[in-house]
Amino acid sequence: MMNMAWKEMKRNKGRFLILGSIVFLVSFLTFMISGLANGLSEDNAGLIKDLPEGHFYMTKEANKTYNLSRIDNNTQNDIFAKNSNTFALSIQMGFLNNHDGKQQSVAFVTSTQSKWFQHVKKGEVIFDRSVEDNGIKIGDTLTNKQSGGKLVVKGFVHHSKYSHVPVAYINMDDYKEMFRTSDMQLMYIPGEDKAPTFTGLQAFSKDQFLNTIASYKAEQMSLNMIIWFLIVISGMLFAIFFYMMNVQKMGLYGILKAIGVKTSSLFRMMWTQMAVITVIALILSIALSEVFNHMAPKGVPFQFTFEITFQLSVVFLIIGFIGSTLSGLQIKKVQPLQAIQQGEM
Amino acid sequence: MSIFTIDEVRKTFTNGEVKEEILKGVNLSLQEGEVTALTGASGSGKSTLLTIAAGLQSASDGQVIFEGENLTAMKPEHVRKIRAGKFGFVFQFAHLVTFLTVEEQLLLMLDVSGSKLNKQERKREIDKMLKLVEMDHRKTAYPTSLSGGEKQRVAIARAIIHQPKILFADEPTASLDSKRSKDVMALIRDLTRKLNIAALVVTHDEEMLSFADKIIKMSDGQIVQKI
Ligand SMILES: Nc1ncnc2c1ncn2[C@@H]1O[C@H](COP(=O)(O)OP(=O)(O)OP(=O)(O)O)[C@@H](O)[C@H]1O
Ligand SMILES: [Mg+2]
Repeated sequence: MMNMAWKEMKRNKGRFLILGSIVFLVSFLTFMISGLANGLSEDNAGLIKDLPEGHFYMTKEANKTYNLSRIDNNTQNDIFAKNSNTFALSIQMGFLNNHDGKQQSVAFVTSTQSKWFQHVKKGEVIFDRSVEDNGIKIGDTLTNKQSGGKLVVKGFVHHSKYSHVPVAYINMDDYKEMFRTSDMQLMYIPGEDKAPTFTGLQAFSKDQFLNTIASYKAEQMSLNMIIWFLIVISGMLFAIFFYMMNVQKMGLYGILKAIGVKTSSLFRMMWTQMAVITVIALILSIALSEVFNHMAPKGVPFQFTFEITFQLSVVFLIIGFIGSTLSGLQIKKVQPLQAIQQGEM
Repeated sequence: MSIFTIDEVRKTFTNGEVKEEILKGVNLSLQEGEVTALTGASGSGKSTLLTIAAGLQSASDGQVIFEGENLTAMKPEHVRKIRAGKFGFVFQFAHLVTFLTVEEQLLLMLDVSGSKLNKQERKREIDKMLKLVEMDHRKTAYPTSLSGGEKQRVAIARAIIHQPKILFADEPTASLDSKRSKDVMALIRDLTRKLNIAALVVTHDEEMLSFADKIIKMSDGQIVQKI
């Protein structure tokens, strides 16, 4: 059938423009929040997220709180002996002070030899680049108030954040001194296969481990909830919009059916309109999110990823399809007969 | 043999417990090139008969024979194809598609009927038809800018652009004034003759009967007079 869908949109620009702009706003908001969720998750657990797929181990007694986990040397050596690329690590939140007493919150991280984490000599520290904004430079000496130990800044790395603060990679001896322990909290074994079991230890996949971090879980869950809420709203928007359009067009549908137009053609007309509006709105909001990605102020942890955006776009299209189809079910019910005795539309 | 025959058609509506027979065994036939007027008091069953004849609702009993086939026994999709390709419709109100121009209304009908004409031929056919109904000067106008009579002329053009065998019209002049009504009826009669269509036109209006070749009068679900 000739492109009735287009003709109607051209003739009734106003209506479709309104729907289009609402879909655009909702999808833009969704992409922004998804970018924010992604940025925050990187800010909160980039250190862990950027590791390859693998398994984390902590002691069963720790009861899913890595802070309480203590894996002693014997157990560590046991695991080292059986697996390659494995390493032990510990993470502790804390502070460092520069010479005039200014405080810097950091996540102290130390690990046995591994290709993914930084290694530093005793008395040295490597930071996430973001501490440069606070005036910390290579060669600075920082003190740790708890232990009185001094650390010299050796260098900076990109994207190493944990719990929204920069990571400070320190030597294991310094770590043991600072936190008065000789045990490590976690063991990590890379690889996607099934996790080997060790007595007294509990295994977590990367995602499972991230979800043991309460703040991470809460943050991501609330943002994802908003995203799904927006997606549902957009589906309802389509359903309501096309419902109202269809109610107005019942007479038209009856006449078209009477003269022999197939019901499927009427549905196709509606789907075409839905798809055109959604695709245009999505393209615009993707473009705008991309712009925002480059212009976002430094403090806003916004990270736009094409993959997630693409997935969300597909979800939007599916939801739009479902919404319009549900409301379009009325089209099926229209009897060609009804329209004939009715007055002018 | 006439092209279209209605044979002992009955229609019963059930309203709760009450069964009401609206058509009580109706017989009639339509001839090509002729206008058959269907008249009678309000509620006598004219519209019901016309819509059954046109395959828009089913009969409770009896047959509707078009080109040797029984419409009442066909699958809905088959009936739809016949409606699209072989029937034309005009109603009391023009019911044009609000977002299509005059010529697009006709183009749509050609599409729906599955016309085999190419683009140029369609354009020529549409121009010819719009000239016949004297609407060629408003080709690119939208329905909202047309008068009632003009809309009805476009609706008539739409009803016959695909060269249907049968034209069904239910009170095509009821929304028009006396002068326009006559114009529209004259147009239907002339086109019916020129294009050799069989037309069934329901009308209340005594004045319109002069445009008919045959007059059928209904009363209480039965045909009481054929002229
Ligand atoms: N779907 C239906 N259900 C029940 N009764 C119906 C239905 N359709 C029509 N009727 C009844 O059938 C009778 C005939 O209706 P119909 O519309 O055919 O009359 P008509 O001759 O066209 O009248 P008018 O000149 O007023 O248009 C009326 O009494 C009407 O109430
Ligand atoms: Mg009637």
